[in-house]
Amino acid sequence: MSFTPVLRSEALKVLSLRSLCGTLLALFAVTTAFSALAGVSETSDPGFDPLFMALSGVAPGQIAAIAFGATVVSSEFHGNGIRLSLAAVPRRGRWFAAKLTVAAAATFGTGLLTASAALVAARAGLGSEAAGLTAGEQVRGVVGLAAYFTLMALLAAGLTALFRSGVATLSTLIPFVLVVSFVIGDVAGGATDFLPDKAGQVVIHQTHDGHLGPWTGLGVTALWAGAALLAGARRLRRGDA
Amino acid sequence: MTSIDVRNLTKEYGTRRAVDDLTFTVRPGRVTGFLGPNGAGKSTTMRLVLGLDRPASGAATVGGRPYTALTEPLRHVGALLDADAAHGSRTARDHLRVLAASNRLPASRVDEVLEETGIAPVARRRVRTYSLGMRQRLGIAAALLGDPEVVMLDEPSNGLDPEGIIWIRGLLRRLAAEGRTVLVSSHLMNETASFADHLVVLGRGRLLADLPMREFIDARVQPRVRVRTSDATGLKAALAGHGHQAEQHEDGSWTVRHARVEDIGRALSGAGVPILELAASEATLEQAYLDLTATEAEFAAPHREV
Repeated sequence: MSFTPVLRSEALKVLSLRSLCGTLLALFAVTTAFSALAGVSETSDPGFDPLFMALSGVAPGQIAAIAFGATVVSSEFHGNGIRLSLAAVPRRGRWFAAKLTVAAAATFGTGLLTASAALVAARAGLGSEAAGLTAGEQVRGVVGLAAYFTLMALLAAGLTALFRSGVATLSTLIPFVLVVSFVIGDVAGGATDFLPDKAGQVVIHQTHDGHLGPWTGLGVTALWAGAALLAGARRLRRGDA
Repeated sequence: MTSIDVRNLTKEYGTRRAVDDLTFTVRPGRVTGFLGPNGAGKSTTMRLVLGLDRPASGAATVGGRPYTALTEPLRHVGALLDADAAHGSRTARDHLRVLAASNRLPASRVDEVLEETGIAPVARRRVRTYSLGMRQRLGIAAALLGDPEVVMLDEPSNGLDPEGIIWIRGLLRRLAAEGRTVLVSSHLMNETASFADHLVVLGRGRLLADLPMREFIDARVQPRVRVRTSDATGLKAALAGHGHQAEQHEDGSWTVRHARVEDIGRALSGAGVPILELAASEATLEQAYLDLTATEAEFAAPHREV
């Protein structure tokens, strides 16, 4: 059994579920809207970072990315639908890989579009304040944000396969992301830099002063996602469907 | 020849043995009824055959190969496990298209099975709007999608209306007549009797019986004769003379156990007893099944009606 038919089948699954397409649409809408709002708001913050300001829609956007990654996998656990899926594709590793490939491609594609739109919208508001951004920094921000969304979606997908529940994943990840970013994140240094969301968001800052650079930061997020995916795949392959 | 072969299959959930050293073969060209009380291990066995659950020991093969080794398995084996397997937010058509794509089945098969199962008119509606009967039909459509030689259906008549039950009976008979291997679990005896040629009966995960349905019934149920007469005394005397005993029912008819209708008819007419009605009681699968399970202490009912 080759990989392509499984990939096609998984892509059809995403396209034929309104909730999944809707989540991607929400990712685009909230990220762009928040960035546009941030662009026109007054700021006097000394730590003002024009790239992060322009892409500040990441905060609600990552929630949508997490929801997408969780739902892609949790939709299989509705009424034991996974049994039918695995009866059609008994090679579980291949099946999971196809599902993740589709989820990643969909998130990355939407992420690129979203980040570009957000940047354009925010720059319209920021005007001269964003003039210092180089083309390279802007490309890095756009690609980096798309990659960040993708990794957060994969992290959620892995956890959902591990917990066999989308609700468990969302109630773990979303408070984590919100609490870490808004409560602990700004205060503590050191170890919190290596949390998946803080590390991954270095890439959408113009400047960085922690342990991690833009790409090493994404690398740390990728490690988190990879660990979750390995744990999820292990549960999927070992257990009863 | 594509048979389902189950060899020494054992499955444990915690300390409970759901399937206990089970061995049987489901052969092509006939409908095999898979019987047993709830929790006897029928569904578990089907999941083990499909490679969905991992056995503690033993093996199940389809056509000599483990299911998980099949390339494009839907072309070989079609299964209905659970009517709720289709995601409620998908349309029936999309649900089948997804399955078809994964096994490189042509899209035309989707429309064919939608027609065949009678849900083509509602195929573009979301599955959550379906009745249980319609979801069963969709599950059966999914099972038939790959035109498989082996069809395995878990309680397919659940939720079907009378028309649907007649339809599925015809479908199962036709699939067997086409030479396919058909395994159908049910807890409805009369329903199973109407389509099965062969029976595999489970109890507590163990094999209780594996034999043709006719043999199963004949071996388990003693023949009985039903008589009505206007001369009760004459009837009793005539039967006693031939070593038979009759018991009277409330409606005035009599039942003679362990007797064949030919012998009773001859005995009564010889004695000149007026006969208003004389009939062989049809032995049913239900009676045979109850007799079998009653001998298994686990299922012994408070009273035996056979």
